[in-house]
Amino acid sequence: MTGVDIAAVYPEIIVTAVALIVLVADALLDRRRAAVALPLLTIAGLIVALASVFYVVPAAQYFRGFVTIDAFTSFFRAVFIILAIFAAAVSPAYLARRGVPAGEYYAIICFSTVGAMTIALSADLITLFIGLETMTIPIYVLAGIQRTDRFANEAAIKYFLLGAFSSALLLYGFVWLYGITKATDFVTIAGFLAAQGIANGPTIVALALVTVGLGFKAAIIPFHQWTPDAYDGAATPATAFMSVGPKAAAFAAILRVLLGALGPLGVDWSAVLAILAAVTMTGGNIVALAQTNTKRMLAYSSIAHTGYILAAVAAAKAGPSAGAAVLFYVFAYGLMNLGAFACLLYFDLEGTRGASLDELNGFGRRQPLGALAFAIFLISLTGIPPTIGFVAKFVVIQPVLDAGLAWLAVVIALNAVLAAFYYLRVVVRMYMYDPEEKQPRLVSGRTLSVSLGIASFAVIVLGILPNSIYQWALQAAQPLVR
Amino acid sequence: MTNVLSLLVVIPLAGLIPLFLFRKDERAAKQVAITTTFVELVVSLWMLTQFVPGEAGFQLVERLQWLPSLGISYLVGVDGISVFLVPMTTLLTFIAVLYSSGGAIKTRIVEYMTAFLLLEVGMVGVFVALDLFLFYIFFELMLVPMYLIIGIWGGPRRIYATLKFVIFTLAGSLLMLVGIVAVYVASADPSGTRTLSLPDLIELRGRFPADFQFWAFLAFALAFAIKMPMVPFHTWLPDAHVEAPTAGSIVLAGVLLKAGGYGFLRFGLPLFPIGVQAWLPVLIVLSVIAILYGAIVSAVQKDLKKLVAYSSVAHMGFVTLGIFVLNLQGGVGAVLQMLNHGFVTGALFLFVGIQYEKTHRRMIADLGGLANMWPLFTTFFGVFVFASLGLPGLNGFVGEFLVLLGTFAFSGAPPLGGLFWGPLAAIGVILAAVYLLWMFQRVMYGPVREAYRALPDLSRLEVACALPLLLLTVILGVVPQPFIAYIQPSLDRVIRLATDPSFVVVAFK
Repeated sequence: MTGVDIAAVYPEIIVTAVALIVLVADALLDRRRAAVALPLLTIAGLIVALASVFYVVPAAQYFRGFVTIDAFTSFFRAVFIILAIFAAAVSPAYLARRGVPAGEYYAIICFSTVGAMTIALSADLITLFIGLETMTIPIYVLAGIQRTDRFANEAAIKYFLLGAFSSALLLYGFVWLYGITKATDFVTIAGFLAAQGIANGPTIVALALVTVGLGFKAAIIPFHQWTPDAYDGAATPATAFMSVGPKAAAFAAILRVLLGALGPLGVDWSAVLAILAAVTMTGGNIVALAQTNTKRMLAYSSIAHTGYILAAVAAAKAGPSAGAAVLFYVFAYGLMNLGAFACLLYFDLEGTRGASLDELNGFGRRQPLGALAFAIFLISLTGIPPTIGFVAKFVVIQPVLDAGLAWLAVVIALNAVLAAFYYLRVVVRMYMYDPEEKQPRLVSGRTLSVSLGIASFAVIVLGILPNSIYQWALQAAQPLVR
Repeated sequence: MTNVLSLLVVIPLAGLIPLFLFRKDERAAKQVAITTTFVELVVSLWMLTQFVPGEAGFQLVERLQWLPSLGISYLVGVDGISVFLVPMTTLLTFIAVLYSSGGAIKTRIVEYMTAFLLLEVGMVGVFVALDLFLFYIFFELMLVPMYLIIGIWGGPRRIYATLKFVIFTLAGSLLMLVGIVAVYVASADPSGTRTLSLPDLIELRGRFPADFQFWAFLAFALAFAIKMPMVPFHTWLPDAHVEAPTAGSIVLAGVLLKAGGYGFLRFGLPLFPIGVQAWLPVLIVLSVIAILYGAIVSAVQKDLKKLVAYSSVAHMGFVTLGIFVLNLQGGVGAVLQMLNHGFVTGALFLFVGIQYEKTHRRMIADLGGLANMWPLFTTFFGVFVFASLGLPGLNGFVGEFLVLLGTFAFSGAPPLGGLFWGPLAAIGVILAAVYLLWMFQRVMYGPVREAYRALPDLSRLEVACALPLLLLTVILGVVPQPFIAYIQPSLDRVIRLATDPSFVVVAFK
């Protein structure tokens, strides 16, 4: 281990340090001060980490081939940190109201982010697996952080059991890969498979196991069953983070392993992925249609979005534009889905869980700017321009058509119509229904409103001027296809 | 100055800023909206003076790099087909806003005006965009404001109507998005460069193989057919119109429906000549069905607003028929018919709204004898009804006559030629006279109802709204030739592009 190696992982070190500082500060400060200081500390520390992402080390492998730093790493690091900042910024009022231990909450978000970042920089199955576990184990805790809430407990247990199960499957797949190729680093694995040419029995088993394991993490149907309950039961700000951070990380892993290491495999896996994508988006949307609870609806709709992202993965043979589509969509999805979940925090009242559609009635009058932000996120999730969600759909459909999967493109379009139905139903409730007789007072934290304002503004601005991000995504996708 | 078109896109957006600043003051909000739409109207008329008639190509073109990594640019321009649609849009929006500020809208004025200004951006943008990506953005930008306008300020069944409107439209436009991306993918030259710029695409359309054109045209045609709407995709229209507030109906009928017909002429015909030929029989049959079906269904409507809505289906049938007979008379007739329908049906919805504001009745059976009390109203309404049924001397006649001429001249391959479809479409003109005159008689004549006796005639504001439309109806009816001179060269080019797949236009660079 040399100084250069250390310099290569500055961002991870900084985020870890932030988590530790938050924990210490939590112990030292009294409750009132901590409520103000902890989120500030977290956000400031994460901003420093974000800046350090752009501290340039040469794109190369470090730690004797266990770590790789390239544009892909930087892109995902930035995405993870931005999402963590957003998640931290929307939470303080909720945590204070519900008596959630704030120090642990922020530390968990940082630890999980470190894990996600580790996935992005992994050049080896072992690094990747460690990253994956470092990311998910804090999330199990996060899901159950409201210890007295039985729904949160259910969420945590379900998430933990299925998460552990999927980790085992994934690890088993990794073992098969190791057995076949005698290596754990991606370059050697890819080289071995390329030399081998045609896929044989054992490689197919490994491929299938890895697909299933990562499919659980990303919530691809039929490996999605944990999602709705876990998202629904967890504390809303935790849900907001859970629905985007780990999913983005799962796709980072899918790109690194399925497209990077297993890319040269001489078997057309794209048909399987395409069918999974179609099933995932359709299934998620159809079930979301039937929901009357907004939080649960968003949980199912996040499954549908997994399907759209997976469609781009399935189109891998279209070249870098497929990888870029995954990256761009992951970023866009993170922004708008975290925003949409965070908007539910306005409805977080005593005795309610999530927000039933009825509770949304007349939201547009009771909280005009909050409703506007929510509407923007929903319109973006639908994929209507001029929002980032539309550009994301556009850049996904393009490689899908390039790869000759015209049917999948049509399925995406029809699914967007299905999704429009339930997303717009929320807008209908907010703007076109009158508030109910007794209006419970809405809660609003200042940091919540400010961060939602910034995020919804970004959704529109990046929807009109997406060039720089897409350019970056395109660059980041290059190393995958060498 | 050549960036007048961008100015047209930006003015309504700029109007949002004072609107936001005065969000507490409804009077000021109305004034801001009226001023903004008026400035927009003036600039669009000035744009008309900058346009040189007699040329086929795009004028007032502006091109900016926008998404270089995707090869997408901000590209706007107008030709003879769109040059009148833009002022029509700005005029109808101005009238809609002016009328709304007279008291027709009572709640949430600021939000209402915001929606209208955003809608205007989308509508103007659709008619000037020459890059498919940009066009799609404007096409969808029209959707959300109209969704809110119907859903918030509409009638009792507004939520059903607005969701139906949005879902229908989105289903079409998202499939068009797939079509647009498919065109983008197919436009690749050997070096991998791709484009969505319409002039470039027209130049290289030889790269689109026949089966690709078949499907891509279908994807575009579905979006436009739903927007028009063509039978059998028309079912959202009566609901949306009946529930929409008056100003919403004016703009919906006057402008939004035109986006469909315009889309066929601008994108469908020039880009996919082989696809057009393949779908031609279906499209012509559907057009004639729309003309006859729209007329027959209008005749049996009990609700005045619904009657006007269904008459739109019939009128749009003439537009599509004129487009798909693929000759000059038909095409020019279709473009004129789009303008005429914008002015006349916009006006009809305005008068139905005015009438409803006074009597609070829309059922034809509840009305009657209005002519005795409202001479001014009767005169205006009468002229628009006659224009709508195609009385010579008024604008409706010119468009329908040219479309019929074109249809008779049509000698295409479909089961039967123009001599079969022409007379059938002509029956539609007769039916229009039947249902419109019958409606006019039941509503305006007959015994005066006591309840309505004290109601006032048109107010000054209402006259101000209707007068420009009346003038245009007469002018377009009496001297259509100058207008045709603007339209003809561009349309001629589109028809040649559509009928001859090997015809190549080398666009400006």
